[in-house]
Formats: sequence, structure tokens, C-alpha cells
Amino acid sequence: MRLKKYEDMNLQDLDVMKEISSIGTSHAATALSKLLQKEIRISIPEISILGYEETVDRLGDIEELVTATLVRMSNEINGLMLFVFKMDLANAVLGKLIGREYDSFEELDELAYSALEEVGNIIICSYVNAFTQLVGVEIDLSVPSSTVNMLGGVLTVPMAEYGYVTDKLMYINAEFIVDGKRLSDGLLMLPDIESLNSILEKLGVS
Amino acid sequence: MSEKEIKVGIGDMKFARGDSRVITYALGSCIGVTFYDPLIKLGGLLHIMLPARVDPNDPKVFKYADSGIRETLRKLTAFGLMKNRTIVKIAGGAKMFEMKGSGGSDFGNIGQRNAAMVKRVLMDERLRIAAEDIGGSYARTMLIDVSNGDVIIRTVGRPEKHL
Repeated sequence: MRLKKYEDMNLQDLDVMKEISSIGTSHAATALSKLLQKEIRISIPEISILGYEETVDRLGDIEELVTATLVRMSNEINGLMLFVFKMDLANAVLGKLIGREYDSFEELDELAYSALEEVGNIIICSYVNAFTQLVGVEIDLSVPSSTVNMLGGVLTVPMAEYGYVTDKLMYINAEFIVDGKRLSDGLLMLPDIESLNSILEKLGVS
Repeated sequence: MSEKEIKVGIGDMKFARGDSRVITYALGSCIGVTFYDPLIKLGGLLHIMLPARVDPNDPKVFKYADSGIRETLRKLTAFGLMKNRTIVKIAGGAKMFEMKGSGGSDFGNIGQRNAAMVKRVLMDERLRIAAEDIGGSYARTMLIDVSNGDVIIRTVGRPEKHL
């Protein structure tokens, strides 16, 4: 059965995506751990197919300031990857990388901003790398682009991108555990529907 | 606070009369359009996400600029709004991410396309835009105070703006 939108995925499809995400996320955690030279553990990710408002609620407050990095996928899989930093995770990263913490994203200087963009990019790339190996597809990634903006505004970007097909987002939620602290992250992987179908086909489901 | 605050979600429209505020949060590339008839103190706020409704059977009329504006006018007119008294203000249409290099040609321009469509449809409907706060790279929260028609734009790191 070919899917027409994200919400058509059945439990088996979701389980498969969860399995891949689990591996993708652990690769991302390893990359982050190397970068920060710190042990980083992750919780088992949850995959949810959510509407816009539910996604916002899971991640935080609609007007809350976040830093987000966006990378576009092309080649055999087309779509978007979006990584959202909240302040706690950003500070864990920045404290280690540039030795400074910030009270709010409004205070970020150029250096801190670049550092977060780079880390967001590394997380996305290592996630996608694991994914390509596992699924056996080639994915090209664009140069990352970042923004400091209201969470609600950031999430309208993928909503608008796929607005003609679906009103749902695929949200991968794993917690990074650094120094015993659980830091939430928001990773959204949004293959277009054709790509989602080919992922599931390659993995032998659907 | 005795005033009611009515929240408008993405791709939706809400309206009110009298002592209420209608608000929509974090407009990114989306556009908020307020319609206000000062004589009868009737005000609506529409939050569109995309320029045009392609599938005529798509029930989500408020998601698109063209069908959204028309449906809002139809509804408000039924509640007594007169077009020649109506004050229209628009906000949003930001470019949230600057995509560098290839692969992002059309991407990120959705805000601009939304704005162009909103303006075209409003012109077709013979409605003048009294004020606008469009473009840039930041999200906006927009609210209309229906008791006096005041439209306020809230952004991070900037003072509140009255349109």
C-alpha cells in the first residue's frame, strides 16, 4: 500500500521508522559526544506524527525563542531535516565548546551562533549518514541554514513546505543525557511522501 | 481582565464583536490578515499558510490566501461587516531560513509568495491595506483589539508595534 500522507503510516511502519531513528540518534549522540568530549547517553527515541500545534506543545512554548538548523535532503530521498535547540541543550554545548553560557538566545554572539549551527549540522549529518547506510539510499545534504526565532514560526517552515500534501509533521524525540541531566532536543525528519514510501519499501515493509 | 482573548490557530480564522482580543502566535512565513469594521466593532483575524487552494474540495479554506480571504469576507459580511468601512491590516510573510547554495531555489520564498497573493486577492476584493508589517526574517505575533481596532505586532527583541 502506498502512503499518501504521514498519518497513513501503520504501527509496523512507525516501528521501522523508530528503529532507524534509534540508530540515527545514537550516531548523532556519538558525534556530539566526540565533539564535546563528554559521555552522552540517549533515551530511546519516540516517533510521533503530530499536527502543528501538538508539535509546538511537545517542544515548548509557541513564542519561545529557539535556535534551529535546517538542512535539505535531495537525491534518492527528498525532504527536510530540522534540528531545534532549546536553551538547556544549547548551553550544555556552548559551555563545553566555547566556555560560555547564555541566559537567552537573544544574547548569542556570532561565535556562539556559528557553534550551534555547526553542532546542529553535525547531529543532522550523522543521523542521515546512519540512515543512508541502513536503508541503502544516497542522500545529498544542503549547506545548513540556521535561525534564532520563535518556536512556532520555525515550525511553520516545514508545515508550509508540505502544506499541500499533509498537515502533519514527523517528530523524533530523544533525550540527550549529559552529566546526568536530561536535555530535550527536537529533531524533525521530513521526507516527502514519495521518499517515505521508498524508504519503507526498501526496508521491506508496506 | 474582563476582555476575552480568542486564539487563532494556523490556517484558521476567528472573529469577535465588542470587548475581545483576537490573537495569533508566531506567524513565520504565514500571514495574518485583520479585518475591522469600526462602526459595528466587528473584527476578524485570518491566519493563512499558503497562497492558493489548488484542490477545490479541500475543506481547509482558511489555510490558503485566496479561499481564506473570500470565506472570511463572506462570514463577516453575514455578521454585518461592510466592505467600504473595513480596515485591513496584514503581517507576517517572513523568510525564516536563508538557504544558501543550490537546492533551495524556491524554498524560503513562501512568505513572499503568500504576501503577493494576499495583496492580489485583497485588491480583487477592492479592499485597501491600511497598514502592513511584512517580510524580514523573524516571527511575529499579531493581535487585534476589537473594542477599538488597534492591531499590535509582537516580536522578540523589538518593542511592540501598533499597525
